[in-house]
Amino acid sequence: MNESLIRLDGLSIGYNGQPVLSGISLSIARGSLTAILGANGSGKSTLLKTMLGLLLPVEGHIETTAAAGKPLVFGYVPQSTQFDPVYLLTGVDVALMGTYGRVRPGRLVPPAERAFTHDCLRAVGAQEFACKRFAELSEGQKQRVLIARALTARPDVLMLDEPTAGVDHAATHAVMEFISQIRTERRITVLLVTHDFAVVSRYAEQIIWLHQGRVLQGTAKELLTPKRMAEILEMETD
Amino acid sequence: METLHQILSPDFLLRNSVYTSVLVGFCCPLVGVFLVLRRLVFMGVALPQISSMGVAIALSLPLWLGYLTAHGSQSGHALAFAGSMVFTITAILLLAFLERRGQGLPEGRIGVAYVVSSALSILLLATNPYGEIGWLDLLKGEVITVSNFDLMVTGIVLTLVLAALALFHKEILLVSFDRAMAITLGKNVVFWDVLLYLLIGLTVSIAVLSVGPLIAFGFLLIPALTAHLFAHNMRQFMTIASLVGGAAAFLGFWISYQWDLPVGPTDVVLLGTLYAAGWIIAQLLPGARN
Repeated sequence: MNESLIRLDGLSIGYNGQPVLSGISLSIARGSLTAILGANGSGKSTLLKTMLGLLLPVEGHIETTAAAGKPLVFGYVPQSTQFDPVYLLTGVDVALMGTYGRVRPGRLVPPAERAFTHDCLRAVGAQEFACKRFAELSEGQKQRVLIARALTARPDVLMLDEPTAGVDHAATHAVMEFISQIRTERRITVLLVTHDFAVVSRYAEQIIWLHQGRVLQGTAKELLTPKRMAEILEMETD
Repeated sequence: METLHQILSPDFLLRNSVYTSVLVGFCCPLVGVFLVLRRLVFMGVALPQISSMGVAIALSLPLWLGYLTAHGSQSGHALAFAGSMVFTITAILLLAFLERRGQGLPEGRIGVAYVVSSALSILLLATNPYGEIGWLDLLKGEVITVSNFDLMVTGIVLTLVLAALALFHKEILLVSFDRAMAITLGKNVVFWDVLLYLLIGLTVSIAVLSVGPLIAFGFLLIPALTAHLFAHNMRQFMTIASLVGGAAAFLGFWISYQWDLPVGPTDVVLLGTLYAAGWIIAQLLPGARN
């Protein structure tokens, strides 16, 4: 559980060479559920995108420890509001995209991969609505389809960008219970970006708290005590 | 019906024109679907005009270099095709690159490209002594005089485009729908973007040379927009768009031949009528629309 899977060493992250957060040195343990916490604009999503390889680090580097010399496979769950409704894709079509990393260009998705995709949709409880238009699903339903898509990639690391944004309390609980469950069952490392302290305190083992240009790392028990939180928030009021 | 029998006859004098129109009608909407999906509708307007400018510049080159010629049909068409390709593909890559950088107003750039290329085409046409004789027809897209060679080139190019779209459909769709996911899956998104733009450029170039910029634009976008009203999935979207385009091309030719009307504008007006009818049906019958 304590083996490091991802190590960030002197990392600066930002856009167009301009850092929004610097001096990030931390590690993510294999099999852990880590929450990246912080206010709007603190750099949470930028950090996630940099770890995914969607953004280049401004400085420093990221080391990953993959099994058997293979590169880490990431399952990415973006915010469900970012997709253009003009695409006439069903939930199944969207979930199938997770298999494209294993299917060579010019080849059809094999039946076994299709069956696996339906298994993933079933596992996230999305089978009932998976044949409907993705754009017409509720936010909670879209999140489930996107989680299924990430799982079809057979990921080592599941990265979720605000998976409970726009989702009601009951659906938030269901999504988070499911994420915890699949992490245990499939031995997946999970990183999630969130604003939701309730989610973090209940589910996260590790917290990366981005606050006013600082990066705090610790367990929920260490960082989310009233005393420690008051110290951190005092930094803000000063 | 007599006109229909004439058009369908293998001895019909203008059979190459029918085949070319229908080919363009079937194929352009399949590329147009991706212009609609990527919200590049304005690009669909500007590219045929830029392609026309490329034709005009390519055909002016011999004149500028001192080789005064009215262009033989094959060499002229080869030159026109080269000019059309170079300008269309350069323009689409440049406009897409600038849009990706996210600076400035993309619609403004596309508008400027459209209006300048239109004006430049007219200027080049006006200053070339052979313009009126040799290549006004090319720029207007007269579908009447299509040689076997032109038909063959159109057929080969469009078949290649369709084959590439069919083979790499899932990669192009993934990169268009969710670029970030494509990167995390290890896809070379720049390669797939460039491939799509090359296919769009090839289709626009050959369509402009075969049927002219106005009809090329009409077939690129109107069938795709019509199909989007009713399709429930991507397969239906592409199939309906292609069928609407092919059917409109044939019907347009039939109508224009019957009533002695110019083919291009007839096709576009017919497509516009189909789109308007489709929109009204979609409003009246909510169950029919997607």
